[in-house]
Amino acid sequence: MPSELIIDMDIHPVASPSCPLEPCIPDSIREAVNFKLNSAPGTGYANPFGFQRRDVSGFNDPHRTIEEHLDPLGLTYAVIQPTGMSVSLIHQIEVGSGMATAWNEWQVRYWLAADERYIGSICVNMRDPEAAVREIDRYAEHPQMRQLCICGESDDLYGHRRYFPIYAAAARHGLPITIHPGTEGALNSATPIGRPTNYLQWHTLIPLTYQAHLVSLVTEGVFEKFPELRFVLCEGGIAWLPHVLWRMDKNFKGLRAMAPWLKRHPSEYVLEHIRLTTQPIEEPASPQHLMQIFDMVEAHRTVCFATDYPHWDFDDPFQSLPRMDEKLKNRIFYDTAAELYGLPSRESVMQARSAQSPEAVK
Amino acid sequence: MNLPQLQAAGSCQSTGEVPALSQAFDVVRQGPTKVVRDGRRLTVCHKDELPPGQKKIITEGKWSAGVYNIAGSYYAIKNVCPHAGAPLCKGTVHATHQPSDVGEFDPAYHGRILRCPWHGWEFDIPTGKGLYDRKSRVATYPVVVDEQGMVVVIR
Repeated sequence: MPSELIIDMDIHPVASPSCPLEPCIPDSIREAVNFKLNSAPGTGYANPFGFQRRDVSGFNDPHRTIEEHLDPLGLTYAVIQPTGMSVSLIHQIEVGSGMATAWNEWQVRYWLAADERYIGSICVNMRDPEAAVREIDRYAEHPQMRQLCICGESDDLYGHRRYFPIYAAAARHGLPITIHPGTEGALNSATPIGRPTNYLQWHTLIPLTYQAHLVSLVTEGVFEKFPELRFVLCEGGIAWLPHVLWRMDKNFKGLRAMAPWLKRHPSEYVLEHIRLTTQPIEEPASPQHLMQIFDMVEAHRTVCFATDYPHWDFDDPFQSLPRMDEKLKNRIFYDTAAELYGLPSRESVMQARSAQSPEAVK
Repeated sequence: MNLPQLQAAGSCQSTGEVPALSQAFDVVRQGPTKVVRDGRRLTVCHKDELPPGQKKIITEGKWSAGVYNIAGSYYAIKNVCPHAGAPLCKGTVHATHQPSDVGEFDPAYHGRILRCPWHGWEFDIPTGKGLYDRKSRVATYPVVVDEQGMVVVIR
């Protein structure tokens, strides 16, 4: 059983005739899009059985998503991780920045307007920091836009200073940045050794990219420079984290002179500034082993629940996590994410509910 | 936890005679010096045998320490790394980067940072402090030069 309140950190609505992207494309790049200048490299890895669950179809419409996903699961909030997370890979830089605007407008117009439970993600072109900062400044004021979403593939590891202006803007507005997988291998090989040969390998190895970004973010001093900034590693697993924390701390002890701007052990920055989402949760033969990992990564402050609706490897809030005590459950299903996004606290939501329908609470 | 900021120690920052960083103290090739005890006083050698930029490793039973002349000031530090028991004083002596702003390197502590020979953890010779966390410390001992010019470690 989940906690009474649930924030789903990861849903993927798509554009469709009922919520078309086309009208949201800025006039300035409309002709360029007609010229196909919005083309971008892909990973080349197809899931032979499709990317979507076979039992759902409402993800192309905000109201049907509510009927099919938010209402039946009793979600308090659902965080949209839009297709526009990967606009940074569009070859033509101006068009990439324009498409970021399109996806932001699309969320505001169709999804955020449809229901207050939808939380939006500002899309930005990481290759165009100036435009990205403008985009953040424009959309940060929308009360439901609560984070940035960027893709795992990038020109440089995310600790690179070329991205600092974007981080400064995100920190200024109190917006966390979610890294979402799906594009690994579009620019570089998805592994340092070479290209996996199929989707099974590619999908299994996504945490390699996350480890690289994480080590880069911490050791380049991003969290020293932007103490308010938080990153979310979405959909990239959790069980690899203890190893990276311990290895990074051990290396730091001998090699700290290479990163003298770190004033604390690397793991301390991670536990304070990094959040991870559960789906696709690791499923060891003994569920207790996962709970031991949760203990190692201080899951009460780092781990947040996600379903990945409507994708094929969806996690159900009622089925997917091992038994755990009420306190940890509350943190993972709601409280940590609510604090991250500045959403109403558990107490205030419950109070508001009991004021609305005192009978129902009894 | 915040990492330690070291204070300037003795004369080792103030004179211009500090030898070049990593060359300051080479790996010791001679064997350790057995010392003679008189009360708490362990006589190491005459000061002429321990010029600036040099060290001696001394032993007494199972105990061992490194005695360093850093720009005319003498320091003794226990020859055991608190991490894994390595013979710490067989490590090399360097400068290091002190805590700085992101993207800036601030070289400091020239000729006084002892780097453990096994895993490279850094220790400040004058204070014994580990630079990699706030708690870690290696024992240090006072060193005096007596009227005869003998270098004496107080243990």
